[in-house]
Amino acid sequence: MEAADLALRKLTYGLFVELGRAPTLAEVAEHGASTAAEVGAGWARLHDQHAIVLDDDGERLRMANPFSAVATPYRVEADGRSWYANCAWDAFGICAALHVDGRFETRCPDCGEPLEIEVRDGRPSDESLLFHCLVPAGRWWADIAFT
Amino acid sequence: MNLFRSEEHIERWLDGREPGATIPVTTLAALAVAWWHDRLSPAWRPHTREQNQAILDGLGLTGAFWELA
Repeated sequence: MEAADLALRKLTYGLFVELGRAPTLAEVAEHGASTAAEVGAGWARLHDQHAIVLDDDGERLRMANPFSAVATPYRVEADGRSWYANCAWDAFGICAALHVDGRFETRCPDCGEPLEIEVRDGRPSDESLLFHCLVPAGRWWADIAFT
Repeated sequence: MNLFRSEEHIERWLDGREPGATIPVTTLAALAVAWWHDRLSPAWRPHTREQNQAILDGLGLTGAFWELA
């Protein structure tokens, strides 16, 4: 990965953490002292390398894994802020990426019962839960939003 | 990629679909740490397929289901 793309990725992630939501193309351009066209081209290269995920229009972030740009059933609170995670794995991943404790609430997809998970030193408070991964690893990136 | 109360809940949710893989939430949490811990590091570089496969292998997530593309 080229140095310029690494820097753009770092800026994008940094703004995602700071804002608690996905930064827009214009916001990244403003903070990076570059043009929207340059950021868009860089985002496209990062998308192709699976470093970020863009929406179908190619101009908005869909994911900067483990962070989600859209609302999901996994809202993570950590370090006095909150973000959406893409899935249960990513909910733990946000705490891991930030190197902080946190918590998230979700619901059992079967019965709808609320599940509250505290994450302390990377470990879940409720160790009885199970994680189900429907898509085999070899196909995760075939449709990452579904995965 | 969801959390469930029990195997019974997973089976009911699948509703006849082909199941994927089920692992304890403790393994998931350990996987998240290994997979994402460097994501915001200034020194971050893309993981290679081999690095990621080694993370899965190290947690006992082996076999065809866990084989990365």
